[in-house]
Amino acid sequence: MAWRNVWRNRRRSLVTVAATTLAFTVMILYSSLVQGYLRTMERNLLDLELGDVQIHDPRYQDDPSLYSSIDDASELLARFDARGYPASARLLGFGLAAAADASAGVQIQGIDVARDRRVSRIDERVRAGSWLDPDAPKGVVVGSKLARTLVVKPGDEIILLSQASDGSMANDVYTVRGVLLGVSEGVDRAGVFMTEEAFRQFFSFPTGAHEIMLRRPADMSLDAFAAAVRDLAPGERVETWRELQPTLASLFESARGLMVMVFLIVYVAIGILILNAMLMAVFERIREFGVLKAIGFEPRQVLLVIFGECAIQTGLAILVGLALAVPGLWYLAHVGINMGKLGGMAMMGVVLDPTWRGLIAPDVFTMPLMTLVIIVAVAASYPAARAAWISPIRAIQHR
Amino acid sequence: MSPSDVVVSVENVTKTYQQGRVAVHALRGLDLEVRAGELTALYGPSGSGKTTLLNVVGALDHPTAGRVLIEGRDLGTLSRRELSHLRRDRIGFVFQAYNLIPVLTAYENAETVMALQGVPAPARRARIGELFAEMGLEGMEDRRPDELSGGQQQRVAIARAIAAGPAVVLADEPTANVDSETAEKLLDIMEKLNSERGVTFIFSTHDPRVMERARRLVRIVDGRVDGERGNGA
Repeated sequence: MAWRNVWRNRRRSLVTVAATTLAFTVMILYSSLVQGYLRTMERNLLDLELGDVQIHDPRYQDDPSLYSSIDDASELLARFDARGYPASARLLGFGLAAAADASAGVQIQGIDVARDRRVSRIDERVRAGSWLDPDAPKGVVVGSKLARTLVVKPGDEIILLSQASDGSMANDVYTVRGVLLGVSEGVDRAGVFMTEEAFRQFFSFPTGAHEIMLRRPADMSLDAFAAAVRDLAPGERVETWRELQPTLASLFESARGLMVMVFLIVYVAIGILILNAMLMAVFERIREFGVLKAIGFEPRQVLLVIFGECAIQTGLAILVGLALAVPGLWYLAHVGINMGKLGGMAMMGVVLDPTWRGLIAPDVFTMPLMTLVIIVAVAASYPAARAAWISPIRAIQHR
Repeated sequence: MSPSDVVVSVENVTKTYQQGRVAVHALRGLDLEVRAGELTALYGPSGSGKTTLLNVVGALDHPTAGRVLIEGRDLGTLSRRELSHLRRDRIGFVFQAYNLIPVLTAYENAETVMALQGVPAPARRARIGELFAEMGLEGMEDRRPDELSGGQQQRVAIARAIAAGPAVVLADEPTANVDSETAEKLLDIMEKLNSERGVTFIFSTHDPRVMERARRLVRIVDGRVDGERGNGA
């Protein structure tokens, strides 16, 4: 009966199904884009900058100096290797970079080139030139904005000045091997990368490290991984990326909340359309519902008829919506949207990719689907209740 | 006839509607008993309370005062659900405007009440087939109401009303919307159902043909029984 009722007013049902389909399709694509955007930002933040977990000497946060270092970094790395946790140590120092007439304050990072590839993809973000080579210790890679400030390109020389760990003046000339694409605001403006060996030589810093970056195995939650790392590195400060960048972590959360809000706003509009369509359908057939009740239909059976009609229309919209969304999702995930000049720019310190790609994940479907089902159920409740609990005599006498 | 033969008992029933500030007294202390197998016609002027009485007896409306009993069950003591079940199992309705469900075929309309009762499909098929044959509706099973004439629709409505074997069938002006010839055929059918199957009918009517066929005539005036007579049957 519900199926046949749906097609009594074909035009109205088609408009309702079409509007619901459109909303559902758009919400899937929107969800894919937002989640893709967040995933990319998160991935860039973690792959290029933070890793999942970082270890510092407890003093480092208050006093990020050359001396606040993890002395037994090598031993810790060996422990992480034994557990199969990808980890790499970084050496951090501050200084001044100069080239021709320009100069800028810089953060110098010493990297174990081979090991760092296990935890970071920064070596893939070279815009010009090439990444570090352990066989070329005088070669450095600089951030994109720093290269602009110093007016340098691969092959040019820069002078680095700082204070070595023994108190002496550290200064040397290096060749720019590469210039990075956007990584983060900090790296772009002040990042200078060199090999671990070059760093130790420049700063007279023979042992230890300032930071150990780790990536978690896919089957471990962030918190469980952090707890495991804390067990392996007693006495050191172990922090997850969420603890290191609470603002960004909450930005990602609030962006997801915002996405749900947009779902609700769009779907409430659809809910009003469905409410209107169902109210019209119920009032047009009010005498019929009276007859059904007169011949013995219980309120719950009338409810079933109305909800059945809604379920059929929504089910159709979901099927058509999925059929339309899948090719769109494929396009967004594999081709994406060219960001033009926005590509490479940093948002909240995290760089955007030149291409905005959608994400294909169960969430992309389930969130719009669940929200739609709830809104439709709420929208259909009032007309259904009106039909179910109306007095049969009033309904039959309705003019 | 024993008291247990009483199918419908209306005891001092009043029904008052409020129309704006005006109280309309549709029924004023009406008493009536209908026994099993009767074919009773309620007649009287328009606005006398015939339809209101059928609605109250059919558990579609509540009396303002008094009691209505169907097979000894006081409707005033039944829950909404029990009233639904009573209407489904013990009362059949034939409306003036047929009131078939437009999206269902003639067969589906006729079997609706039995389906609600959970009667298995083969039993429903057999019962509706028998009724359709008896009522001259063979071959029309798959037609929708808008593909049937008024008389055919009313016959389907009668089949729906009696298919589940109710204690009483309430028919509100069943011949009002059909031509004379069709009205005669409908009355033949209902008379036959009454005499051969013992179906109890209560009509409200203005139609002299209906009154001629009724075995008992009850005159309603101003919401009261103004008199009654048998019809020689």
